[in-house]
Amino acid sequence: MQPLYIDKTKSTPGIHFDPQDAKLRIEGQSYPENAFKFYEPVFAWLDKYLAKVEREVVLEIYFHLPYINTSSSKCMMMLLEKLEDAYAAGTKVVVRWYYDLENDTALECAEEFKEDLTLPFEINPVGEEG
Amino acid sequence: MKGNSGRELQDLGRDTDNIIYDRGTVRVVALACVIILLAVVVTGSISYFITRNAVVEKLKTRDLVFIIESISAKIDGRIDRAKETSLILAKDPALIQWVAGAETDERLGEYAKTKIDQIARSYDYANSFVVSAVTNHYWAEGSKLMQVMSPADPDAKWFYDALNAGKAVDLNIDYNSGRQDTFVFLNALVGDVSQPIAVTGVGLSLKEIAGEFQRYKFGEKSNLWLVDSRGKIHLSDNLEHNGRYLQDFVPKDVVSQVIGDKAGASSATRVIEYKNVQGETVDLAYQPTKSTDWKVVFQIPRSESIALLGNIKFNTAVTGLITLTLMIFVFFIVSHRIADPLKRALLLTKEMEKQVSERTRELAQKNQEIVDSIDYAKRLQESILATPAELGDVFADYFVLWRPRDIVGGDFYWVKRIDAATSFIALADCTGHGVPGAFMTMAVNTLLNHIVDENYTEPAAILAELNRRVKETLHRNDRGQMTDDGLDIGICRLDQRKRQLSFAGAKICLYINSESQVTVLKGGSKSIGYRRSARNMEFSSQSWQIKSGDKFYLTTDGYVDQNGGEKDYPLGRKRLLQIISGQSREAMSLQGKAFEAALREYMGTEAQRDDITVVGFSLR
Repeated sequence: MQPLYIDKTKSTPGIHFDPQDAKLRIEGQSYPENAFKFYEPVFAWLDKYLAKVEREVVLEIYFHLPYINTSSSKCMMMLLEKLEDAYAAGTKVVVRWYYDLENDTALECAEEFKEDLTLPFEINPVGEEG
Repeated sequence: MKGNSGRELQDLGRDTDNIIYDRGTVRVVALACVIILLAVVVTGSISYFITRNAVVEKLKTRDLVFIIESISAKIDGRIDRAKETSLILAKDPALIQWVAGAETDERLGEYAKTKIDQIARSYDYANSFVVSAVTNHYWAEGSKLMQVMSPADPDAKWFYDALNAGKAVDLNIDYNSGRQDTFVFLNALVGDVSQPIAVTGVGLSLKEIAGEFQRYKFGEKSNLWLVDSRGKIHLSDNLEHNGRYLQDFVPKDVVSQVIGDKAGASSATRVIEYKNVQGETVDLAYQPTKSTDWKVVFQIPRSESIALLGNIKFNTAVTGLITLTLMIFVFFIVSHRIADPLKRALLLTKEMEKQVSERTRELAQKNQEIVDSIDYAKRLQESILATPAELGDVFADYFVLWRPRDIVGGDFYWVKRIDAATSFIALADCTGHGVPGAFMTMAVNTLLNHIVDENYTEPAAILAELNRRVKETLHRNDRGQMTDDGLDIGICRLDQRKRQLSFAGAKICLYINSESQVTVLKGGSKSIGYRRSARNMEFSSQSWQIKSGDKFYLTTDGYVDQNGGEKDYPLGRKRLLQIISGQSREAMSLQGKAFEAALREYMGTEAQRDDITVVGFSLR
């Protein structure tokens, strides 16, 4: 399976999904005009990947999103729900969410997501330029 | 557009062809040709005049002098040779003996006659002779006894003159009008000079030198003359001139100058320039001969001497013409090979610029139309927003900071008075911004009005109903997964009589600054109307006992999410709380400005990220 790489822009995060090491990374600000359009290929890739991922593999997902707008957060929720479904179905999934200490909005956002989910969800602060 | 591009290119091609021959190019080529022509004419004329002066100078100082000197030398040489020959004859011992013996010795006579004959024939003299003073016999070439001299005979006068002259050799010129010839006799005395026994010598015809004269035929109208001291022409390159006079051909003053010049034979050649009767300039050179008082005169019209310059003129003209032709050719090549691609490129650039500016104008026009349309939409959106009159009616003091990111937005605030004591204030943030957000606000506004009109009075109940109706309205035909819209909202019911505020929210909080303490009434953590919002989502209302001086704030996430500051993080809730607590004593109407200033300062040059609305109010 081909990895999915999307470069970071001012308003969209960098996507770094590599099936080899079972680590998925989303990092950057997310406030595109049309969030659904941006995340559509990400969902598609993830659906495909989750369908064939092996049970023993621990899937680690790193989030580091200083700002996401409302529609992006809807998309992020959809993404997390896909992981939640996979977790419910027995896939080993760990979500690691990073936020900058000074950015309370990002922490609030992470906490809101965590509330709705049952899968392992770590919220970790990072230092300067984390 | 595509169908037209072929024709456009053709037009372009035709334009390009025309442009090669445009007025500018033709003008430049013509100007260059004129300049080159001028240069050729100027340099040609200058070189022509320089050459002409040089030619005339050379003619006067060298050519004419050379002709005169060489002719003089020829004549002098000829006469000198004749002198020598005469002297040889005069000193011949056999001849002397024969003459002295009164021509009696047969053997000597035979020798002497043969000698005379031989000299005439071998050395090309007109005649040779010996005239004895003893016998007065005149012996000429061909062993002829021409005559017997007698002092009475005028034709014999020369003989007696010679005998008495006492010169070893003397020159006697005799013009024969019948033969139109001049003979020069060199008479040498035989024997003792003081008592000569005979006169011997040779005579030469000037016609013999005439051949030399012909060789100096310099031009059609040039003349070479040998003139005597009276100006009579003895010899000319033109035989018809023989026997005529210099004044027949040359103005009188020139004649007198030539004849009157008594300078010696050693004097240098003189050159005179004069105008003849036709007004032509004529150069005339003369020099006396050494052996006679004759002068060699040569004259040539100036026009003939410089005739060769005609060639130069012609050549210059031809050169100029060739240069001009070549230049025109070069210009043609240059304009085709170099200027043409350049022009084509320029033309293409121009054409492209034109098209770009056309498209830009079209786009600007389209954009303007869209902007106009949205501007109109803004008026519609503003019409659903609470008016200052409504707000003033409900609140003691208030401010509204309504800043859609674009012209219209997804944020809207809503006020409704139910009766004298009861009213509602709501602030909603619909997904998205711009036109899609605005659509949502219109729908939500309508739903909210309907719900309140249907006597829903509890904020929590109103939100629950709104959630249900938004889902119903927006997800009626839920085929695409990719539309999922909803809103955040905070709504307060104000009961003036009971001094009670009841609040319910969906991701929007109510901030209360009461007695310098900021309290946050958190709304629910779920948005309204989204696909994943539960259809029967429950909301809870929170109550607040209104105290005098309480200040209330509702804000959409645009304010706290706005990026800026040093690290480009969102403004954040902490800062919002600082702004609120820092404004405890300010009148609400002034606080709006403070919120705006704080936002402006924080975002700096960053663009607004989302729609921003802050509503602040206090109650009576």
